[in-house]
Amino acid sequence: MKLTDNVLEIRELVKDFPGVRAVNNVSFDIKRNTVHCLVGENGAGKSTLIKILTGASLRTGGKVLLNGEEYWAHNPKEAKQKGISTLFQELNVVDQLTVEENLTLGMEDTTFGFLRKTDKINAMVSVMNSLEPSISPRQLVSTLSVAKKQIVEIAKAVASESDIIIMDEPTAAISESEIARLFKIIKGLREKNVTVIYISHRLDEIFELGDYVTVMRDGKHIDTKPVSAIHDRSELIKMMIGKTVFEEYTPKEGECKDAILQVKNLSNHKLNDISFDVHEGEIVGFYGLVGAGKTELARAIYGVDDYEGEIIFKGRKLQPAPDKAIAAGIALVPEERRSQGLFTILTIRGNVPVMNMKKVSRSGFINAAQERNVTLEYIDTLRIATNSTEKEASKLSGGNQQKVVFAKCLFADANLLMLDEPTRGIDVGAKSEIYGIIRRLSEEGKSIMIFSSELPEVVNICDTIYLLYDGSMKATMRNGCDIDSEKIIHIVTGGE
Amino acid sequence: MKGARDESLGIRMDRSNAVRANIKKVYIYVVLVLIVVVFSLVKLGQVEMFGRGHFLSPDSIVNLLRAAVPILTLSGAFTLLMISGYIDLSVGSAMSLSAVVFALMILNGFPFLPALAITLVVGIAMGFLNGTLVMKLRITPVIATLVTLNLFKGIALLIVPAGLSAIKGSAAKIMPAWINDYARKEVLLGLPAAFFIALVVIAILVLVQRKTILGKYAAAMGGNRTAAELSGINVVKMGWMLYVIVGFFAAFAGVARASYMSLGDPLSGDGMELDCIIAVLLGGTAFSGGEGSVAKTIVGALIIMCVTTGLMTVIPAFWQTVAKGSVLLLAVVLNHLLVREKAKA
Amino acid sequence: MSVETKQVRTNMVGRSMSNESFISLFMVGVLVILFGVACALVPNFYLPQNIINLITNSWFVIILGIGVTFLLITGNFDMSVGGVIALTGVLSVYFCQGANVSQNVLANGLGLPYGVAVALALVCAMGIGAINAFFVARLKVPSIIVTLATMMLARGIAQIVTRGAQRNTSLPDVFGVLGNVSIPGTSIKISVLIMIFLVVVAFIFEKKTVSGRRTYLIGANAEAARLSGIKVGRHLTFLYLTSALLAGITGILLASEFKAGVSNRAMGYEFDALVIALLGGVSIAGGFGSVLGMFVGAIILSVVTTAATGLLLSPDWQFTLKGIVTFIAILAQRFALDRRKG
Repeated sequence: MKLTDNVLEIRELVKDFPGVRAVNNVSFDIKRNTVHCLVGENGAGKSTLIKILTGASLRTGGKVLLNGEEYWAHNPKEAKQKGISTLFQELNVVDQLTVEENLTLGMEDTTFGFLRKTDKINAMVSVMNSLEPSISPRQLVSTLSVAKKQIVEIAKAVASESDIIIMDEPTAAISESEIARLFKIIKGLREKNVTVIYISHRLDEIFELGDYVTVMRDGKHIDTKPVSAIHDRSELIKMMIGKTVFEEYTPKEGECKDAILQVKNLSNHKLNDISFDVHEGEIVGFYGLVGAGKTELARAIYGVDDYEGEIIFKGRKLQPAPDKAIAAGIALVPEERRSQGLFTILTIRGNVPVMNMKKVSRSGFINAAQERNVTLEYIDTLRIATNSTEKEASKLSGGNQQKVVFAKCLFADANLLMLDEPTRGIDVGAKSEIYGIIRRLSEEGKSIMIFSSELPEVVNICDTIYLLYDGSMKATMRNGCDIDSEKIIHIVTGGE
Repeated sequence: MKGARDESLGIRMDRSNAVRANIKKVYIYVVLVLIVVVFSLVKLGQVEMFGRGHFLSPDSIVNLLRAAVPILTLSGAFTLLMISGYIDLSVGSAMSLSAVVFALMILNGFPFLPALAITLVVGIAMGFLNGTLVMKLRITPVIATLVTLNLFKGIALLIVPAGLSAIKGSAAKIMPAWINDYARKEVLLGLPAAFFIALVVIAILVLVQRKTILGKYAAAMGGNRTAAELSGINVVKMGWMLYVIVGFFAAFAGVARASYMSLGDPLSGDGMELDCIIAVLLGGTAFSGGEGSVAKTIVGALIIMCVTTGLMTVIPAFWQTVAKGSVLLLAVVLNHLLVREKAKA
Repeated sequence: MSVETKQVRTNMVGRSMSNESFISLFMVGVLVILFGVACALVPNFYLPQNIINLITNSWFVIILGIGVTFLLITGNFDMSVGGVIALTGVLSVYFCQGANVSQNVLANGLGLPYGVAVALALVCAMGIGAINAFFVARLKVPSIIVTLATMMLARGIAQIVTRGAQRNTSLPDVFGVLGNVSIPGTSIKISVLIMIFLVVVAFIFEKKTVSGRRTYLIGANAEAARLSGIKVGRHLTFLYLTSALLAGITGILLASEFKAGVSNRAMGYEFDALVIALLGGVSIAGGFGSVLGMFVGAIILSVVTTAATGLLLSPDWQFTLKGIVTFIAILAQRFALDRRKG
């Protein structure tokens, strides 16, 4: 294997999904033993690109060269064997084993099944020592903090002689001092013959850590440059958002309505002292990137997670439980529609009335005709593409599935709708339909809270926009006046 | 500042984790000692099994250990299977079937070693069947092994000739007396050969769990199956092997039971799976897998034997089911308090 | 709305069969085939009296099957039902045996009126259900273990009360009524009618009530159910209490039929209840299955066991047969469903 200058070469890579080209003819090189950052807004195509590298997704066209030879992986295990390791958000360590056992998992030396301490094993273990001496190899991983578990994963990748370690938003869940330690380790990886692909939206980190940066936007490769050649954040931000044209936002006229929701000093393991109000008929957007705390905020208000602080809804203290929230008039469209929002093995009719069965039943007996009519109504109004109420929810497209979840929440007669990433993974047509629905609801007097990591989405329909970063509310803006998207990106990527 | 708060939370968690870890290391020995003390103090009356009625008399201890041979032989392997996150509810019937097969062969003139060998092969076959159902056909372990529980029990009942409730010999054929040699005849310190074999088995399994790749991979796949697969571990093959091993030792336990009782009773193993589960729960094995200890399970098994034999003398027979159910519930509670189950994926 | 759109709407409702109905129908097909085979192999199998017996002899396991089916739909087991039958039967006897009637301890009870005795016994049954619910819903302990433990507790208490044997003396005359009264002109006992009534109620519950729907929702996706405002713990508690109550009713009826509270009554019934649910297509994966399927499953089991007896196979064959039949059913159902989806 010749040692090429570039450890990875991406050539005209294309990935198509039905109706959308997620990766559009992307070509760039990654130099060996560097920290190569990948940035881009949501929907820019970074995650899809990474999925192709890690084997979670198959490319549609183009090719990837690893160490000069063509590379493809059909699953994460194959990717790892070929030299590309990944640090995911869900840690892949075995808590119940020791650090040493995790490091050597799958690569043990044995005699008749008995584990042996060979030089190879000792070398692997010493990797841990060179990265972070405070972690003892004999410790149980369950006793380690999240940050230290990450380091164990990195050590494992190094010990198994991976050429490339991909890190996807690794700093989302760890503290500042832990971040500093992690950066020291990452920088040191270059001497260990490892190339790091670092994905993050925290632009300060790019400047601190990166040797090179690749910017993607709308599935296309915008530019790849040495970090030293970039003058400041705003240059990077300009590359990221290009000439984003926002639709006309029509400011709302009318009197200042009362506050229907008052959140006071909300804090928990992720959130820091968040306070804000939502008024009747208002559409409020919460914008931030991965790890900002959007979902945590929604879940806290809904009563799924614990929190400290006070929440007043319609003048009364809100009890922290989903059924109480629904009864009070709040409904949540969860982030993951398949695992949290829908009952995939049930039909559309089985899904829609779930949050308000009282309306289709009398004394506990379900009125099937009413159920059907209600479902038909929503199929009609939301234009769910199906020819039957009896279609299994798992067989619908993403956009239609999301519409069913919407129908479910609308049927709950909520006054306040919380939408967590409402248009994620949905085609453009369905997206604008959903925006239309949201606007209509606001006109009818309902209040909407949108938690999103897509800026155009938030800017196009929200009356008020709250910016979140790392669990704190960093800024508030009223829509309607000139929206400085650069300033927004600056704030949600950690700037002050 | 968030950083500081996270770290202080981290430190607090570390400390409580450390306390918990220490308790876990020690509690089971405490429980065992407690039980022994309690039973020694209670007046046991003149019960044949306990010699002069004293719990700690040599006679009683010998009797207890002799009766404990099956569970000692089996529960180590059972622990390994549970560590990997799987369960086998058919071990009791597997044991019975093995006892029947073994006794049948002895009755028909087979020498000890060939009879033992064939029975162990039967055990491997039973384990292989369980492995196929659970790992290959991906049937839920509980249901799959409930099915095989009935299957093995049924086969055992079919082998036992009509009218007989056990294979014990008749006028035509006599069960040779030497069948007792293995599990009843005194060899050393009043204990039979089977006991020492059980000790060897335990030693081997403790070693396997702690020092071999099988033990490590079992913990890995029980602890985080995705991580295990990503590291190249063939989870299906591992699980299959563990089921075969459990079947093997269930057969071994069945041989011990047949030898001890001089007969092959198709119902002799009933309830063994519950005893194993209690032992495993007391020993701190997580139900979802990932952690566990053969050594602690053995201590748990001893605790059960103390409780069962001790109770047998103190309380009338018809109190025993309640006692067993209570012990199981208590073991569940204890396990719940001690083991932090891994979060659902 | 124009006539045209109205027609389109009607079409949209769809007449496609749900997967549950498909499996139930599939198992009916299996039943018919098995029945045919049995008729061919066993003399007189097709006689009407025999067919009636196939259903009536399973009345108790079907009642148990109702509770077990609903719990299985949510992904949980209830192996305590056999013990609860024994417990309720024994307690119903003990509570209304005459007090201070004889020297024999087993002949003396609490002397309560029959109705009160029955009510109290049922309350005790639900106590077992409450323990199940606590461990499963609250402590989130695996249901298989907990319910095996409570099965032993329940049966164990029955054994204590009967000193390992049974109680069958000093009973008021009314005791033997419920279990032995038949429909005039036939030999069908009231227990069978009760069973049919309960199955009908269960079916209505499953198909038409909000609470029944909740069972399926929890089984299909417990997390989504929670986020949709369903109180999962409360519903599971309700199901365990109901299952215990159903087992209790069965215990009362059986005790009345035999005019005795026997501590080893209903051994293994919990497994039979599980088997008929599995035969009927209820999936442990959750969210799928029907009491009607369970009913068909019960008849299938009945056909198999009766045919075996008819072929002069010893009762010991039961275990093997149940194991094999369950195994084949699980695989066949999986195969059929995969073919339907694919």
